[in-house]
Amino acid sequence: MSAGKYMEKKRECGIRDIFRRTFFIDFIKGLMVTLRYNLSKSVTVRYPDTEKWVPFPRYRGVHTLNRDEKGRELCVACELCARACPTKCITVVPMEDDTGRGIADRVAKVWKVDLVRCLFCGYCEDACPTFALRLGKDYERACTDVSCALLDREELLGPAEVPWSFDGGVVVGARFERGKGGIKVAADLSDEKSPWFERQ
Amino acid sequence: MERLFFLIFASVAVVSALCVVLFRNPVRSALALMLCLLQVACVFVLLRSPFLAVVQVFVYVGAVMVLFLFVVMILDIRQAELEAFFPPRNRWLMYAIIPVITFEFLLVILGTSFEGFGPGAGGETKVEVIGRALFTEYLLPFEVVSVLLLVAMVGAIVMAKKRWD
Amino acid sequence: MLDSALILELAIMFIKVFVVGSVLFALPIPLTWLERKVAGHIQVRLGPFRVGPHGVLQPLADMIKMLLKEDIVPEKADKWLFRLAPIMTLVPTFTVFVAIPFGDKVRIPFTGREVALYISDMNVAVLYILAISGLGIYGIIFGGWASNSKYALLGGLRSAAQMISYEVAMSFAVIGVVMLSNSLSLVEIVKSQSGGFLHWNFFYLPVGPLWFIIFIIAGFAETNRIPFDMPEDEGSLGAGYHVEYSGMRFAYYMLAEYVAMVTVSVLAVIFFFGGWNPPFNLPFHLTGETAMFVNGGWNAEFLNLLAAVIPLFWFAGKVAVFIYSFMWIRFTLPRYRYDQLMRIGWRVLIPLSMVNILVTGFMRI
Ligand code: SF4
Ligand code: SF4
Repeated sequence: MSAGKYMEKKRECGIRDIFRRTFFIDFIKGLMVTLRYNLSKSVTVRYPDTEKWVPFPRYRGVHTLNRDEKGRELCVACELCARACPTKCITVVPMEDDTGRGIADRVAKVWKVDLVRCLFCGYCEDACPTFALRLGKDYERACTDVSCALLDREELLGPAEVPWSFDGGVVVGARFERGKGGIKVAADLSDEKSPWFERQ
Repeated sequence: MERLFFLIFASVAVVSALCVVLFRNPVRSALALMLCLLQVACVFVLLRSPFLAVVQVFVYVGAVMVLFLFVVMILDIRQAELEAFFPPRNRWLMYAIIPVITFEFLLVILGTSFEGFGPGAGGETKVEVIGRALFTEYLLPFEVVSVLLLVAMVGAIVMAKKRWD
Repeated sequence: MLDSALILELAIMFIKVFVVGSVLFALPIPLTWLERKVAGHIQVRLGPFRVGPHGVLQPLADMIKMLLKEDIVPEKADKWLFRLAPIMTLVPTFTVFVAIPFGDKVRIPFTGREVALYISDMNVAVLYILAISGLGIYGIIFGGWASNSKYALLGGLRSAAQMISYEVAMSFAVIGVVMLSNSLSLVEIVKSQSGGFLHWNFFYLPVGPLWFIIFIIAGFAETNRIPFDMPEDEGSLGAGYHVEYSGMRFAYYMLAEYVAMVTVSVLAVIFFFGGWNPPFNLPFHLTGETAMFVNGGWNAEFLNLLAAVIPLFWFAGKVAVFIYSFMWIRFTLPRYRYDQLMRIGWRVLIPLSMVNILVTGFMRI
C-alpha cells in the first residue's frame, strides 16, 4: 500500500498524460531508442580475430626488464623489487660482473617472477631505482600449464611485442594464429583503428 | 475404418479413465484425465461434430485441467495431509454413494435405446447451425445456464471476499 | 475404396505435412541466430560472429553441443513425466500449424490440379488453434512439477496462472476477429480482408487496433516471452520450469518457444494484417485467367503459379516483421512483476475486451 501512496503522488491526470497512456507513447519511445541502437554501429573490438587493443603506457601488464641505450642491463640486482612485492613472487639472486653486461658491476644472476601469484599491483615497478623493471603491455597470459607463468631474466629481457616507443591506447589490426605452441594474436602496429569509445 | 478409430479412441478413453482413479499420484491422475478428455474429443470428431470436439479440448483440457493441476500442485499430496480432508472414519459415505451412482448410470444407459444416435446425416455440424439453435430453439435453457454460471461466479467471489476481509 | 485419386490426395497431404513440419523444425535454427544478432546489435555488440560468416553456423554448433551434452534426470524427479514433458510442449505447438493457411489454392503447371497451401481448412480453425495452443502449457506445468525442484515448480505454477488469465483475453480478441470477419475459418478470415490494407481488420477503426493490442499482449503472455516471461524469470527463479533440464530436452523447450513465437506472429498476420493479401491492389491483376488471356500458351501456367506464390512472400514478409518485433520488444522492455502481470490480465485486458466486444457488436449490426 505504501507503494500505492508513492504512485499517487507521481500520477498526473492531464490530457497529455491520458494521451501518453492510450497510445503507448513511452513504450514507443523506448522502442525507438533500441531501434536506433540496433541500426548504429557496434562497438565490439573484434579480438582476437582481426583487432587487438594495445593498452596505454601506464598499463600494468607482464613485467619487462629493460636495457639502456647502449644495450646494458639496467637492473642492479638491488632486490628492492623483491622486497616491495606484497606476494613475494620475485626472486633476485645478485652476482658480480664487471664485463659491462650491466650498468654497474652488480647484476642479477637469477631474476624470476611467478605470475601465478603476482597481482599486478606495480609496487615492484615503483620500487626499482633504475627503471629496469617496468610492467609492460602484454596481457595474454593464458596457457595450459603453469610453466609459462614462471618468467626468468632471459624472457623478460627479450624484445617486447609492443616496443616502449609505441604509445598505445589504440586498437590495431591483428591476426589470430593457431600454431604448435598454442594460439597467438599477432598485432600489426602499423594498422591503427579507431578505439571502441569513438565508434558509435 | 471409422469403427477401428472409434475402438482405439474408446478403449484409450476407458483405460485412461481407469488410470485416473487407480494412479496414486494426483498429478499423474490429472494427466490421465487429460488424455481421457482428449479421447472423448476425438470421438466427437468421429461423430461429425468438430465444434464440440474443439470446445471440449478448449474448455476442459485447456482451461479446467490447468486449474485442477494448479490446485493439485499447490496441495500437499502426502497421505497424511489428505486424510485431514477426508478422514478414514467417513469412508463409509463413499462406499454408500458409489453403488447408488453406478446403479443410476446403469439405469440411464440401459434404459436408452441408441436408435437416433450416431453421426448426423447431413455431414459435419456447422457452427452456424449450432449458434442458430442455441439462440432460437434453446434460448431459454441457454439463458438459464448463463444465469446459473453467473450465480456460481458471484458466489465464488463472495466466498473469496469473506475470507479476505 | 483405395482408388488412385485417394492415394494422390493422401500423398499430397503427406507432402504438405512433411514440408510444414520440416520448415517448422528448421525455423528455430535461423531464428536463434537472428535473436542473438538482434540482441547483440541492440546492445551495440556484434552477436555471434565466429562460426561461419557473421556467425550463421552458430545454431548448428549449439545444436551439436546440445546433442553431446549429458541428459540429466534428477534423482528425485518423477522420471517418467520428466521425460514426457518437453515432448508435451512440442507436439501441440506443431499441431497448431495443421490449421494455419499460408496461401490460397495454387494450380500446379500442366496438371490442372489445384493444391491448397494449407493442410486443412477447418470450419472451426480459430477455436482449434486456441484449443491446441493452450495445450502447450502442460509440458511446462508437468516439467516444472516433475523436476521436483522449488524453482521449477514455481515456474510451472506461474505459467499455469498466467495461461489461465491470458487465455481469456486472447479468446476475447479472437472472438472480436471472428465478429469482424464473420467466420471461424482462417481461410475465410483472410479472404474477408482482401482488397488493400484498408480492409484489414487492424484498420477497422476504432476497434481493430484495440483488438490487435489485446491479442498481441495476450500472445506475448501465452508464449512466455519478455516482458511476460515469468515462468522462466532468471532473476528470481533461475531458469524457472526448465531449470533441471539439459541437453536435447532443454532444446525441445527452446524449440517449442520459438515455434510458439512464430505461431503468434502468423496468427497476428492472419487475424489483423490480411494474411497473404498484398497491402494495396496491384495495378494489374496477375491471376491465371488474365495471364491466359494475355498470351495463352504454356507460360501462362507459370505466370499462374507465380501469381499464387507471390502472396506467400507477402505472408512471410509480414510474419518476419512480427518476429522481429518480438525480439525487438524482448530487448527493450524489462520484465513485469508477477502481480503486475495478473493485474494487466484481469483488470485491464479483460474489461477492455468486454467493452470492445460490445462496441464491435454494435458496429457490425
Ligand atoms: S606487480 Fe606487485 S605482485 Fe606483481 S611482482 Fe610486482 S610487486 Fe609483486
Ligand atoms: S629490477 Fe630494479 S628493483 Fe629489482 S633488482 Fe633490478 S634494479 Fe633492483
